[in-house]
Amino acid sequence: MPEIFQLSFMRNAFLVSAMISVLCPLIGIFLVLRRYSLMGDTLAHASLAGVAAGLLFGANPIFAAFAATAVAGVVIELLRNFYKKYAELILAVVLSLSVGLAITLISSGKVAGDVNSYLFGSVLLVTKYDLYAVAALTAVSLFVVGLLYNQLVFISFDEEGARAARVKIRLINLVFALLVAATVSVCIQIVGVLVLSSLIALPVATALQFRRGFRATLALSVLFSFVDIMLGIVVSYYIGAATGGVIALLSATTLILVIAVRQAASKIGKWVR
Amino acid sequence: MIEIKNLYFSYDNKAPYLLNNLNLTVGKEDYISVLGDNGSGKTTLIKLILGFLEPSKGEIVNSFRRVGYVPQRIESLNAQFPITVYEMLDTYRKVLKIKDRGSIEKCLDLVMMRGFEGSLVGNLSGGQAQRVFIARALLGEPELLVLDEPSSGVDNASQAEIYSIIRRANREKGIAVVSVEHNLKAACDNSTLIYHLHEAHGHLCRPEDYISEIIGPAGGGKDA
Repeated sequence: MPEIFQLSFMRNAFLVSAMISVLCPLIGIFLVLRRYSLMGDTLAHASLAGVAAGLLFGANPIFAAFAATAVAGVVIELLRNFYKKYAELILAVVLSLSVGLAITLISSGKVAGDVNSYLFGSVLLVTKYDLYAVAALTAVSLFVVGLLYNQLVFISFDEEGARAARVKIRLINLVFALLVAATVSVCIQIVGVLVLSSLIALPVATALQFRRGFRATLALSVLFSFVDIMLGIVVSYYIGAATGGVIALLSATTLILVIAVRQAASKIGKWVR
Repeated sequence: MIEIKNLYFSYDNKAPYLLNNLNLTVGKEDYISVLGDNGSGKTTLIKLILGFLEPSKGEIVNSFRRVGYVPQRIESLNAQFPITVYEMLDTYRKVLKIKDRGSIEKCLDLVMMRGFEGSLVGNLSGGQAQRVFIARALLGEPELLVLDEPSSGVDNASQAEIYSIIRRANREKGIAVVSVEHNLKAACDNSTLIYHLHEAHGHLCRPEDYISEIIGPAGGGKDA
């Protein structure tokens, strides 16, 4: 067996990454299709502000990150009613607030602890606690998304139609925002603030290129996410680079390759006909 | 039945009102086409009926238990959204907790779209997509069907099929219909009543009286 699979910290890294590879596209597909791709990025920055506040006040950084992302998620949902046609503007507002708070706290010099590890993540330093936290979150997410799957698909596809069918849109949006917040706050420790949004958006973007139905697109998103993350861990281990960065590069490369192959196949198809 | 009583509406809840003192009753067997100029408040009226908006003054009493809604296709449809016809209908069926899986096939039969179950909704033509949206609305066995410009962006042949489906739903299944229309001929040919919105006021008449009462004998009256 190769050395990489014999090390217990690597086994932890693979295990936690496998769960994240399911979790991120599961949440990401609904964000992308509702044109909220940058919500993950926004909440990741909110979680950084939470981590900084947690470290400053001696609280558990992950719980503080969840509190900050949950508040940011709820604020985004509330602001949606004020800027119905400008969803991305809401994200810009919350992002600015989060970055402002994070920078102010970190630059004050009073934050005790390594904030940088949350910027870049440390998939190779996964503890048993991280493993349990991600496992619990994955189970809760699968349960909640399973429970609300049809409502989430309906709202994402046709919000007005869902409202006419008396779907409780606001409640479902709030539950979903909390789910995104929880995902972000657990994942940033492992993959980092700077890379998290790529895990949420890129596998879905790649899967969308195949122009399949919803379930097939979700399955393809999870597949691409799984392959990119696993390859990312292996490659980063051997080249000694930050795992998050390698995963983001691999995800982007997969997307470009899929677009290129599909374009080429389409041109060849036309030429043959 | 829907009873609209002394309804006033403006987006800031102040005068001048977009809809001014409207009174309308939609009975179980009515097929009412709502006509009027662009910006006359047709879509706003159906949003009020659907409960998306609250009246500024007055009230809307809706005793229909199940309402099917067919949105304006171009506005609602995200052509890139990865969803098949079957997935779209099955999602709706599950949201409405309809147990009979066969109801999807029956509704697709009604709108003559069997065989398109696996097609992406975004790949359908305007007329096909509109028929699928009508199938979705009919799946919930509605007592009231609300449509927003059902023939918008649809070719002439498909328009005839779409109005035939809506008319049969009204005449044969007893489903009340409220349809915002830009298509005057379709409104006159298919509806039992026409509600004309002009300068914030509403006027109800029979289709056969519409030309003489609203447009005027010489055709120089209010625009449709």
